[in-house]
Amino acid sequence: MKNKHEGWGWMLAVDFFFAGMGGGMLVIAGIVELFIGEGRISLVGNLLGPVFMCIGCIFLVFELGRPFQSWRVFMNPKAILTVGAWIMSIAIVVGLAYASFGLNPAWFGMEKLFWQDWNGVRKVLSVVCLVTGLVVATYPGVLLSRHKCRPFWVGPGMITLFLLSSLVTGVAAQFLSGLVLPPVAVPGVMQALPALAGGLLFFQLIIWIGYIWVKRTGGTEAEAASAQRWIDGDISASFKSIVLLLGTLVPLILLLQSSLVAQAVGALLVLVGGVSIRCLVVRAGSDRTWLPGEQKYKNRLPFGDEAFLKAWNK
Amino acid sequence: MSKNIDLEQEGIEVKKSACYFCHQNCGVLAYVKDGKVLDIEGDPEFPTNQGGLCCRGNIALDHLDHPARINYPLKRVGKRGEGKWEQIPWDQAIQEIGVKISKIRDEFGAEAVATAGGTQRTDDWARRRFMNQFGSPNGFHNSHLCWIPTFMVETAIYGWCPFELDMGNSRCLVLWGQNPGAAGMPEMHHISALQAKGMKVIVIDPRFSETAAKADLWLPLRPGSDLALALAWINVIIYDGLFDQEFVANSCEGFGELADHVEEFTPEWAAPLTWLTPEQIREGAYMYAMNKPGNIQWGTSVDQIGKPAGSTMHARAILRAITGNLDVPGADLLTGPSPDFITDEEMEANDQLSELQKTKQIGSERFKLVTWPGYSRIAEETRKVWGKAPTAEWMCEAHPPSVFRAILTEKPYPVKALLVNATNPINSYGETKLVMEALQAVDFMVTCDYWMTPTASLSDYVLPVAGALERPTITSTYGCSDFLLASQRAIQPMYERRNDYNFWRDLGMAVGQKDQWPWETVEDAYYHRIAPLGYDVSSYDEFVDRYRFHFPEREYSKYERQGFATPSGKVELYSTVLKDLGYPPLPPYIGPTENEVDHPVLAKEFPLVLTTGGGFMPYHHSEHFQIKDLRFLKHEPYMDINPATAAELSIEEGDWVWIETKRGRIKQKANLTQGIHPRVVYTQRGWWYPEREINMPELGGCLESNANILTSSADEDCDPYSGAWANRGLLCKVYKVEASDLKGEN
Amino acid sequence: MARYAMVIDTRRCIGCHSCTVACKVHNELPVDMIYNSVTTVGPTGIYPDLHMYNVPTLCMHCANAPCVDACPTGASQKREDGVVFIEDKKCVGCQACIMACPYGARVQNHATGAAQKCDFCKDRLDVGKKPHCVNTCHQKARIFGDLDDETSEVYKLVHGENSARLLGELNTEPYVFYIY
Repeated sequence: MKNKHEGWGWMLAVDFFFAGMGGGMLVIAGIVELFIGEGRISLVGNLLGPVFMCIGCIFLVFELGRPFQSWRVFMNPKAILTVGAWIMSIAIVVGLAYASFGLNPAWFGMEKLFWQDWNGVRKVLSVVCLVTGLVVATYPGVLLSRHKCRPFWVGPGMITLFLLSSLVTGVAAQFLSGLVLPPVAVPGVMQALPALAGGLLFFQLIIWIGYIWVKRTGGTEAEAASAQRWIDGDISASFKSIVLLLGTLVPLILLLQSSLVAQAVGALLVLVGGVSIRCLVVRAGSDRTWLPGEQKYKNRLPFGDEAFLKAWNK
Repeated sequence: MSKNIDLEQEGIEVKKSACYFCHQNCGVLAYVKDGKVLDIEGDPEFPTNQGGLCCRGNIALDHLDHPARINYPLKRVGKRGEGKWEQIPWDQAIQEIGVKISKIRDEFGAEAVATAGGTQRTDDWARRRFMNQFGSPNGFHNSHLCWIPTFMVETAIYGWCPFELDMGNSRCLVLWGQNPGAAGMPEMHHISALQAKGMKVIVIDPRFSETAAKADLWLPLRPGSDLALALAWINVIIYDGLFDQEFVANSCEGFGELADHVEEFTPEWAAPLTWLTPEQIREGAYMYAMNKPGNIQWGTSVDQIGKPAGSTMHARAILRAITGNLDVPGADLLTGPSPDFITDEEMEANDQLSELQKTKQIGSERFKLVTWPGYSRIAEETRKVWGKAPTAEWMCEAHPPSVFRAILTEKPYPVKALLVNATNPINSYGETKLVMEALQAVDFMVTCDYWMTPTASLSDYVLPVAGALERPTITSTYGCSDFLLASQRAIQPMYERRNDYNFWRDLGMAVGQKDQWPWETVEDAYYHRIAPLGYDVSSYDEFVDRYRFHFPEREYSKYERQGFATPSGKVELYSTVLKDLGYPPLPPYIGPTENEVDHPVLAKEFPLVLTTGGGFMPYHHSEHFQIKDLRFLKHEPYMDINPATAAELSIEEGDWVWIETKRGRIKQKANLTQGIHPRVVYTQRGWWYPEREINMPELGGCLESNANILTSSADEDCDPYSGAWANRGLLCKVYKVEASDLKGEN
Repeated sequence: MARYAMVIDTRRCIGCHSCTVACKVHNELPVDMIYNSVTTVGPTGIYPDLHMYNVPTLCMHCANAPCVDACPTGASQKREDGVVFIEDKKCVGCQACIMACPYGARVQNHATGAAQKCDFCKDRLDVGKKPHCVNTCHQKARIFGDLDDETSEVYKLVHGENSARLLGELNTEPYVFYIY
């Protein structure tokens, strides 16, 4: 195992992906509920939103060095991680509560579920879904952007990028959910989702190009160097082939097709792009603004698989 | 070791011990309870290190009970180098070794038993005492590479060697091929402090070393060209009138001859030989001669340049003398041996070796200065003035490469046994191929060591020796200073380890030297040595507890009272001692051992100049590659090459490269640095890989990155005075290691 | 109350790595963990006009410590005397502090999962001793003391010439100072 890089790894990126997608799905659910109408999107989507966040949490917990102590992350209200933990928890609970309004009582052998008439509660929950979903969708960007010593992350651009990516994956996931279980109310918003996803994707592409361009030219030397990794460095190949081609351009074309199959494949590719970009962003954060001489020093330290490290154990 | 250890708890004793990982022997306080060392730290009251400890000093507890340490005597049961051992009791091992070497003595003569040592990490007066009584003149160390030739040349010129620098009063310090920034921390500390107060520091070193980076003047000369620089400095100092006229007139012999001799050695003459500019050479000469008093600090490098070494030492000694920088305040001091305590030499029983056996010392007919012919001559002079002689162990030894050749060729006579103590010759002696063949060919080999080194693995017996914290230490500069620093052991040796003193004593007793070893323990012997000092102590340990050092009152300009210990009683710039021994009385110019001027054909194939370099942190010679906390910092060997040269050779930072001389090739990784001349490369020394299989044929990878594969110990490459062989100033080439040759790297 | 600070004199440091090793040994760190690396800058320039210096690092014990703010569990704390430390039992190993520290001063212990770092040897400070890295330094390049004490060596050095902080622009206000 070559583990020269200290810091966050791929599991956190996967958490960002699931949590962001879940947040995006809640946002869409909230907007549709409040401004378009009840039951216009799939129950599966409404359920999966909070479930994805839970999956994200599981990855987050396993990213921890001490998973069984994870409850402690709720303890320091001044820390952004603690704030994030609380809001995601609320979003999960509220999201599930909101989704429960769409459950079919017949599945439980009942004529009705008693709370499904509480319309006021349903509206309040949908507002909370919208707000917390938005926070969860944006949150990783906020977290990363505050790292003054991580040249690729620092600055507000990261917030926009994460929000956009969360929304586009949320839309794609809602669309796919609708294919699994169509919305109960007609007309649904299903037909509009591929175009929405396509639009967001295009917008995201522009912002990404702009972001790297600004980092490359406008910031510090360290920022320029960090952007260079995306242009022709170690991140460039994955970024270009997986994120830009497979995760953006191909789905952009597919989503604009009329074939449902093409749209579905496009939506799936959006998710691939979403998880990939997060992995790359987290990886790009392994670069700090290096101290004088630090890189040469670190590069000459062992990777961790050298024979001498395994020898002479008592 | 200390995080969870309460040093305030009851029952803890603080022992005044010493670090033993190089011969600076820094003071260490050891916290001991129930025979276990709980923690160590630098002794703040020790005069040299003042509480500091380097990387190596800090790992003493790792070293003390490292899983790879040898703890019991081992007897070979398989083939040589096969790695099959039987653990036997110490006494049995001693008896069997005694029987074997006695048999060899009976059959081939005592001189057929030789011993190899390392640096001063042992009580080698005891080894000498054993060898003298046994009757063999063939003990040796790689001390030829480390000060000993310098000591003897300088003693020939002015009657002792000035290793004690009166730096506190100095205005200029020349570090000639020395890098205390990596190899002598206590010294570097003083240098930095004095430099801050205005002392000038000149560093003569092909590398932009840790110390060069702090220097007022850095003179990056071609490796091995020190002699041209020294001669040109003499020329400038004489012909620009910078010399000390009074001292030269009153205290030196042969100035006129010297002036004639160096007339042609101008800076313009030296510039193309040293790759310095005439201005750089002049600037250095002026800085040294005009900032008086000043010092020239010895460094190992001149001892290691081979052919021109002796002449260079002579020229450097002349520099001190003509500037009057000898034995006056702020200059280089001639302490002489201690008149008060019993010196190493007086413990050696040199009178027990017969004159006949002395004449058999291998190499002494060609390399006379550090063998019996030169030693006897010089000791005769020092006895007249100082009343004592230099330590014979170190200063009077068989020529190591010649002993290795004698093992192989039986010329001048067979050498059948080699007792190896505190050294791993495969890595630390010159021309590894020769050493390897000799170690495999010798009939009988015993190694005393901490570790199963490649050398130990080829032995018949391996005996475990006590190391740092397990042994007392007297530090007195190879037995040549008038002061001493004393340290005690923190604990008795662990397991069945014993002191090297006890090995020689036990072996001596086993071969019939029963009456000659009255001191049962090292402490008994040390007490015997310090007793004449007259301190009110009844044991050595008590001396350490209560006094710890003995510094006699410093007397300057002793020569005014007693003269110099030379035949004329003066500094002999024109040396009659050297002349009597058949060497030039004035230093002739000799080019670097291998060079582009004298060896143009060789230089065509091997266009770069090699220095195999000095110490580098965190290692010491070929030691400590097993200590993980150290190895983690530098886990792979690196060689230095200028980026311009590397670009020509398509070598990038971190590439594995071959460095090849006409004797062989090794691989190290490329460190691209501006800190070296484009035509020079530097390799790290000592490298082997103890994490690999130590037995044959792998032998811990000791042939893979070992700089001594490249060095030369051929007679014609050795210094004719001392026989010191050539580690620096050789010709080499460098090229990239192909991917297919890269197996086994880590 | 004291306000502890360390001054590192880069003019004196020769890059021997003793502080790194003393720290590892005395704090019983796993072999792959380093609290206080010593980096080398250079040689810069073109042979033979060169410059080289060494930069010993450690936790900067920032007054405005991003690591303490980032820690979701409250394991990363700051004492009144300025020592920033980690209460090991509260650490969940989320690495937020490792990512937040601009100086790379924090490392994850792969055996325990927790983050660890230099704490100025606070247990030694509490009994009047100095950190191990200070004691072991032959060159006396690390000077430790109380910055509230105007007579202390650190006070004089910090308020003298050529004193600087690393990455001062980040407003972390380190209490490790460099003399250059």
